[in-house]
Amino acid sequence: MKLGKFPPWLALLMPAIVLLAAVVLVPLVLSFYSSFTSYKLTKPDTLYNWIGTFNYQKAAGDIYFWTAFGRTVLLLTVALNLEMVLGLGLALMVSKVTRGQRLLRTMMMFPMMFSPILVGFQFKFIFNDNVGLVNNTLQSLGLTTTAIPWLVDAHLAMFSIISAEIWTSTSVFAILILAGLYAMPQDPLEAAKVDGCTPLQSFRFVTLPFLMPFIYIAMAIRSLDVARAYDIVQIMTNGGPARRTELLWTLIGRTGYVDAKMGYANAMGYISILLAIFFTVYFFRKLTAARAELGMAL
Amino acid sequence: MTHIIRGVSIAAILAGLAVTAQAQDFAGVTLEAKLIGGQQYEALYARIAEWEAATGAKVNVISKKNHFELDKEFKSDIAAGTTSWCVGSNHSSFASQYPSLYTDLTPLIPAEEVAAYVGANIAAATLDGKLVMLPRAQFDVSALYYQKSLYEDADKAAAFKAEYGYDLAVPTTWDQVRDQAVFFADPPNFYGTQYAGKDEAIVGRFYELVVANGGALFNDDFSPAFNSDAGKQSLQWFVDLYAAGAVPAGTTNYLWDDLGNGFASGTVALNLDWPGWAGFFNDPAASKVAGNLGVAPAPMGSAGVRTGWSGFHGFSVTEDCANKDAAASLVLFLTNEDSQILESAAGPLPTRTAVWDHVVAEAASDPFRSEVLAAFQETAKTAFAVPPTPLWIEATNLIYPELQAAILGDKSVDEALQTASDAVDELMREEGVY
Repeated sequence: MKLGKFPPWLALLMPAIVLLAAVVLVPLVLSFYSSFTSYKLTKPDTLYNWIGTFNYQKAAGDIYFWTAFGRTVLLLTVALNLEMVLGLGLALMVSKVTRGQRLLRTMMMFPMMFSPILVGFQFKFIFNDNVGLVNNTLQSLGLTTTAIPWLVDAHLAMFSIISAEIWTSTSVFAILILAGLYAMPQDPLEAAKVDGCTPLQSFRFVTLPFLMPFIYIAMAIRSLDVARAYDIVQIMTNGGPARRTELLWTLIGRTGYVDAKMGYANAMGYISILLAIFFTVYFFRKLTAARAELGMAL
Repeated sequence: MTHIIRGVSIAAILAGLAVTAQAQDFAGVTLEAKLIGGQQYEALYARIAEWEAATGAKVNVISKKNHFELDKEFKSDIAAGTTSWCVGSNHSSFASQYPSLYTDLTPLIPAEEVAAYVGANIAAATLDGKLVMLPRAQFDVSALYYQKSLYEDADKAAAFKAEYGYDLAVPTTWDQVRDQAVFFADPPNFYGTQYAGKDEAIVGRFYELVVANGGALFNDDFSPAFNSDAGKQSLQWFVDLYAAGAVPAGTTNYLWDDLGNGFASGTVALNLDWPGWAGFFNDPAASKVAGNLGVAPAPMGSAGVRTGWSGFHGFSVTEDCANKDAAASLVLFLTNEDSQILESAAGPLPTRTAVWDHVVAEAASDPFRSEVLAAFQETAKTAFAVPPTPLWIEATNLIYPELQAAILGDKSVDEALQTASDAVDELMREEGVY
């Protein structure tokens, strides 16, 4: 019997390999193959129409694709850094609370429990120029007499989207950093105190280096999340107006499912994956360096 | 007399036999359906039980979503080859995208039944010679809603005449709409008008204005025709209103619900909108313009043509359906006179000639309803559907960001239309349209 020739370890791993191949490899290979075809959802026969690298060439020469690519990098950079700073502050403050910390930790996680679609609708209403909470507050306080177009203005629209992203995900950073704070040994901090370090110096040279591995893990996780940002943007602006908030996945989603051009959408998707790979590699290198600095195992 | 009674009895027996035959025809058949979802459609779906009782068939509704979501589901079904369900909700704006999905209903529906629908609707439901759907009583064309009190204020009338040189009256042209919208606007508290600002919606509005101004969106071969004087004149209208602050600053992000709720909030003077909103706008519990609401036919463009972008919902039968006769029977039932009378009682416009007559007669004692119907009936006379190309939605996705860019001042009207026209031309060539 042929199966008997498999070494036992391979035979035992086979179910997992088959399962992984079915749910990961097959869709991956199929979508990669389709990126070399003119595949349209509404014309199934086009899946067999091989057009070489046409889709990749088209994406490479498409100014709107690269603008969306650049905007996604911008969103990633701004959102991740702000979330890190706010999450760090939140974690430091919560770690100092002596009573009701458990309740605070639970409350801190509330935004993560909302569906991104719901967050999108919520912030769409908050930033609505006519009936939105922000404009009505500003107008009631006499701070403005105009209707500020939060979701339309080139800069404010991205700001509004970044606000929604930050609101929903800062707690990811806060929770991970808080875990780092709990795991931190107190001896180095006490030694720094004895050596006459100010609280700021203790934070800068003792606490922060210890927290950096936790921060890089949070950054790696969130960079993958933000690089795939879709739901919130789709609801708030759908990439508009005039492509002012177009991100990679609003563009790719529209191309694939509304225009039905799945081959082209997959090609854009594969180019976009480079972005996620770059950020993941970058943050894992940083993580390794931070751990090495602390003398942790690599 | 005896002959008459005997004749009536025979007719009754034959009718009874016909019903029984119909009931036996589809016994044991189960039809799977994908229908548009929403509270306003449920009254009609409640009638499905009657059809089941009459035919012995069963209907299993396997999906209920809005048309945009259904559209994505249909495309996925076509891609996966899972199209053996039988009845699907369809829409005139989406229908041309699924050339292989739905069957031709002509051999399945008696010709005299087809003739009972409004001819223009049947023409728009016929693509490449195939009758791909039967229209339900959800016909959409837009008329002009306005706040009556604005036209009863003598001071406003005098100020308007002094500024624009003609009497202030409910506008009959789009140039008058622009003048009056700018005149009435007092942002951020009150706006002259508003328009749908993204997706297919803004392209639809642009399309109807181009036609009203004597142009066309596409040539006969579907090459772009909107980069023309009529196109520029139309886009300039949108740009002028935005630049003057006569429309809300966020209008380029608005879709139908934002527009409807905005007008109901009493902060907009003139609003081109669909018939389904009439009841909501005149409901004191939901709308601040209730009791102060007027409805006029859609204004005309510079070519003396009314705007009239129209669409309608319908039901189709899939090509892969195993029981096309049963499915066609259900589709006919859901769009027959009784069904359309039921649906149109809540406000939507019918697509059967006899039901139009019925609705108009019913509304005779209600002045508001009569005004609404008169305005929409007048507009419907010259209404036109979207261009019959499967690339309609894809083309709108290329056009609308450019329209927005011009409205927001990122590009000039000429630049925006040139870019949009080039993009649509490239699409049509790439897809082998010409």
